[in-house]
Amino acid sequence: MDRNMKILVVDDFSTMRRIIKNLLKELGFTNLEEADDGQTALPLLRQGNFDFLVTDWNMPGMTGIDLLRAVRADPNLASLPVLMVTAEAKREQIVLAAQEGVNGYIVKPFNGATLKEKIDKIFERVES
Amino acid sequence: MTQVQEQDFQPVVGREKRLADARALVEAIENEDSSSEAQLIGELTAAYSGNIFDEVGRMTREVHDTLRSFAEDERLGALAEDEMPDARDRLRYVITLTEQAATRTLTVTEEATPTAEQIVERSQRLKDELAKVAASEADNARLGGVVESMTRYLDSTTRCGERLKGQFTEIMMAQEFQDLSGQLLMRVIDLLEQLEEKLVGLLQITAPVRNAKGEDSKSVAPAERAEDGVGPQLPSAGDNVVKNQDDVDDLLASLGF
Repeated sequence: MDRNMKILVVDDFSTMRRIIKNLLKELGFTNLEEADDGQTALPLLRQGNFDFLVTDWNMPGMTGIDLLRAVRADPNLASLPVLMVTAEAKREQIVLAAQEGVNGYIVKPFNGATLKEKIDKIFERVES
Repeated sequence: MTQVQEQDFQPVVGREKRLADARALVEAIENEDSSSEAQLIGELTAAYSGNIFDEVGRMTREVHDTLRSFAEDERLGALAEDEMPDARDRLRYVITLTEQAATRTLTVTEEATPTAEQIVERSQRLKDELAKVAASEADNARLGGVVESMTRYLDSTTRCGERLKGQFTEIMMAQEFQDLSGQLLMRVIDLLEQLEEKLVGLLQITAPVRNAKGEDSKSVAPAERAEDGVGPQLPSAGDNVVKNQDDVDDLLASLGF
């Protein structure tokens, strides 16, 4: 896994964006950018050569699940690994996210170990 | 409706007339006299329908009275126009306060983590340097003893630094509450908004009665009693609220404290 990969962190709460960025830094990732909902994230993704997307679900403007759909529908982004970190914890939601092509799903509250485990898993699969 | 029928739908026409009509109806059907049949059915139905209209009238009056009393309940107007928007502002302010607290904490942990990392890194570097010195002066027993005790100290410093780093991460993760509590509060704010909209809509339907009552409706709502405590004040609160400790001190000073 390339520690220099470019990661976009999307969450409407600045507190959570900061926590996720700090955790990613602890894991050795330094090339981090952020957006506060799907609407601001999508243009960044389209022009930014991102390698990995970490997104919340429940956001005003454009939700994480719609962002995921938009990413999968865009030929240039379709294969981008996407990890959801969200408080949405209903089974049907997790199933829906999986159906829409999410690569990992973390339910808040969470911790750094969980984040590391999911990221490792995602890139093991992507790289194999 | 179904339970009141028996009692309320007593026919308004006498028994004799109804029996006569019913017999005539049977006769008309037997004789295949369709025009008489239709007329008699109409008469028999009319014997009951008077009460249906009375019933509808009664219900209409009830609805009217209920709406009237609803409109006259000034507490509802105050609730919809003042207290519910105020409750929403308070909840939004809670989100702001928790966000500020979480941000302060995050700033401190972000500053403290590199300090802990430095302690770990410098302790290790110093330990390595000391090991080199000890190796080059292997015959100096006194130096060897000092290096050994310093090494033990540096090892424990490294462990402390590592533990601090973990604890700072833990403090950082705890700030996650702000996102979760914020999301929950936003849902309650949404709900209040919807309720308020419905209530305002309902009150507008009954507006003529309400408006006739004039402006003093708010006074009916029980006022907050400072004595009972009214909770934290919003930053947008008026001049009768102190904004910070300086205001408090100034106020107390003006009272001779």
